Amino acid sequence: MRHGEGGGRNGRGRNDRLRRIPKSALHFPESLTLFRWGVLVPFFALLLFLLPVFLLQIYFSVHSWTVYLTNWWEAQFVGLATFWEVLSDERFLWSLVRSLLFASASTLGCFVVGFALALLMYRPFKGHGFFYTMFILPMLTVPIVIAYTFEMLLYQKGPLNGVLSFLLGTDVHVMWLTNPTMAVCTIILLEIWNWTPFAFILMLASLAALPHEIVEAAQSLGASRWRIFWEIQLPLLRPVILLALVLRFLEAMGEFAKTWGLLQGGPGSATETIPVYLYLTTWSFFRISKGAAMSYIVMLLMIVLVLLAIRILRREKTALDRMYSTPGQLV
Amino acid sequence: MRERQVSRRTVLKSGLTAAAIGPWVLAQSRVAEAGPEEDRIVQAAKKLQPAELNGMIWSLYYRGPMTEQQQEFRNLTGIGVGNIQDIPTPQIIQRAMAEAIARSDKFDFMHLDLTMIPSLASAGLLEPLDDYMEEVGYKLEMVGNAANFMRYQGKTYALPSDGNVFVQLIRKDFFEHPDEQKAFADKYGRPLTWPQTWEEHRQVVEFFHRPEKGLVASGSLRDRTFGGFWFYMYFYSAGGFPFNDDLEPTLNTPAGQYALDLHLNLQPFSHPEAPGWGTTQMIPQHASGHIFSSQYWDGLIALVEGPKSQTRDKWLYGLVPGSEFSGKLRYRSIAIPIVGLVINRHSPRKRQAAFMALYWSTLQNSIDIVGHPEFTFHDPWHPGHFTSPKVKEVYTRAGMDAIKQNLLVAGPSIYLTGYPEFQEALFKHLSEAYTGQLAAKEVLSKTEQAWRETIKNIGKRKLQAELADYKAAFPDIDVPG
Repeated sequence: MRHGEGGGRNGRGRNDRLRRIPKSALHFPESLTLFRWGVLVPFFALLLFLLPVFLLQIYFSVHSWTVYLTNWWEAQFVGLATFWEVLSDERFLWSLVRSLLFASASTLGCFVVGFALALLMYRPFKGHGFFYTMFILPMLTVPIVIAYTFEMLLYQKGPLNGVLSFLLGTDVHVMWLTNPTMAVCTIILLEIWNWTPFAFILMLASLAALPHEIVEAAQSLGASRWRIFWEIQLPLLRPVILLALVLRFLEAMGEFAKTWGLLQGGPGSATETIPVYLYLTTWSFFRISKGAAMSYIVMLLMIVLVLLAIRILRREKTALDRMYSTPGQLV
Repeated sequence: MRERQVSRRTVLKSGLTAAAIGPWVLAQSRVAEAGPEEDRIVQAAKKLQPAELNGMIWSLYYRGPMTEQQQEFRNLTGIGVGNIQDIPTPQIIQRAMAEAIARSDKFDFMHLDLTMIPSLASAGLLEPLDDYMEEVGYKLEMVGNAANFMRYQGKTYALPSDGNVFVQLIRKDFFEHPDEQKAFADKYGRPLTWPQTWEEHRQVVEFFHRPEKGLVASGSLRDRTFGGFWFYMYFYSAGGFPFNDDLEPTLNTPAGQYALDLHLNLQPFSHPEAPGWGTTQMIPQHASGHIFSSQYWDGLIALVEGPKSQTRDKWLYGLVPGSEFSGKLRYRSIAIPIVGLVINRHSPRKRQAAFMALYWSTLQNSIDIVGHPEFTFHDPWHPGHFTSPKVKEVYTRAGMDAIKQNLLVAGPSIYLTGYPEFQEALFKHLSEAYTGQLAAKEVLSKTEQAWRETIKNIGKRKLQAELADYKAAFPDIDVPG
């Protein structure tokens, strides 16, 4: 028997198999390679564009550069000392805590409100388009404009307190901007207002993409709406929910424009989050090296969070695949 | 008789001799100073190539007279302002430092907080102006010791355009009301007089604080960005200075504690939103009659006396309170920030930019800038402003007297390299204590700790060498005449 001939697993020869494959498919590996390069070339071009910035930042983070004293190429090499300085900086650690608190609260808020709106909107109704547009408008507003507009609305004797006083029938004097605790709540609420449309769009699309048959089958079997939602829709939406939460969380960790425009990290240091402290360190104090080290530490933290999230997403995907690969068996 | 013939060689030799000794002769005979400042600057600028200058200046400053004078200068010399990057003054220092780091020649002049001079000069951005000033016979004159704000390590680096000194304002209609005066005297056992000390000031604001009637006694700011400026006044008037000669912070001292107590104890008589308000919010409160008194930037005078103010003619102006804490009565106002023009050393048009800046800074031109009835961001700084009817009309006679008195005893903020970092640490801790996030007893020690880190980063020897310039910016007198 010559090489290439002879029984395969199903007893057919290789040549027979090749004869059955259309000619166009034989070029498939080449077109796949072309496709891969087509996608990767812009990526490499972008990387080349960004690489000098990353390399320079690494340089700054391992050298101690005082802008008032020397040129940047004369800065002294200090290794990881600046990283250690950042990690032992109490102010940095507190700003990290504030960022995590802000990101968690605003992400949860965005998701809950966004999901609720998506549940209301995923079945078409008259006027659907109008409501859809109104719900996504906040996301289209420039963050600094939000900050300056809400500043005027949130004065103690401003419109918001006025409306609340009218609705509640009593004088409302909430210090939205000057009480430290309320200032944190204000920033969280602003973030929720600004970015709920993101969660709304994601969840709306996911709800609309759910297979109708399962829901109809459950309805025909007499399942309540709550049961359908809790036991059918929600499990199927878990991967998307996780994706929405992770993406929103990462974005919220980087929120700067509204916080700075409205409060500049105050009152006191109530809203001094990581981006605010990073901005002050680099561009008010001109501690470029410390700012660079800080950026890398925060980036590593975000990478860890993303890897964690990917791991959980993979687990969710595996669970879903298992659910669909064994017909007739409910997980 | 044969006529003596003058040879070409004789003419040339005479001309060369005249050129060699002429300037010295003219200087001695003060002919060089005979013409107006503007003419001398124009003549010097005409010798240069025409240029379109790029500047960084807030549009609230660059309007009206400044733009008109720029056009005049352009018509006379071919040097004018082409592009302006409109950035608020508080943010310009970041941009200026970015330009310094990049050794950029893009901007020819910048209009910024002159407390940044040590930092920017250290970073190599600033062009010394002494030679240009000497060339045109320009003498920098400012009230009090304020001219020392423009100097660093023996050189002049800036020309002022806005004095920005704090004055004391009090509502005349309340203060001079006979019933109020009697009630005050009954309560405190002394007549109601202009507060000479911070302790007297506290009694006055305590008496006039009537929030139920929409009147807040103290309109001083207490936010994180500006609130600490008041602390400097309290601290300096108590005899405090932030560092000793070894550059060890001396904030956590009796004078510092005194200042901190004053800063925090005014809270019951201040606006409840002061921790979050900046000047944009507080100024309308003054103009609409909701504030009884404050120490505030002198530019407020022009606004509250302006046609749109509801409290026009209702204010008294004077010297900020002082303190006897050090054993003698000492007044200390604060001029912060003094804003002015600096020239980029890396610019190929720096000579043209220097003469443009000098043109704006002459007495006559600065009177037009400072005395504009509508564009009131530039405040008086030159002794000649205080005899100008035009400027007096904008600030009122009483306002001008108050500005001059306060300029005579005005101190700077932290006139050292790294000033933003020093100041931010202090202001953050003050704001935290004011809003209850930090115990008062920790403010000064934590600030000193932060300052030690900053000193370590910048270098003790370097900062020690700058202490003399910092001290020179302080007034020589404690009580203005």
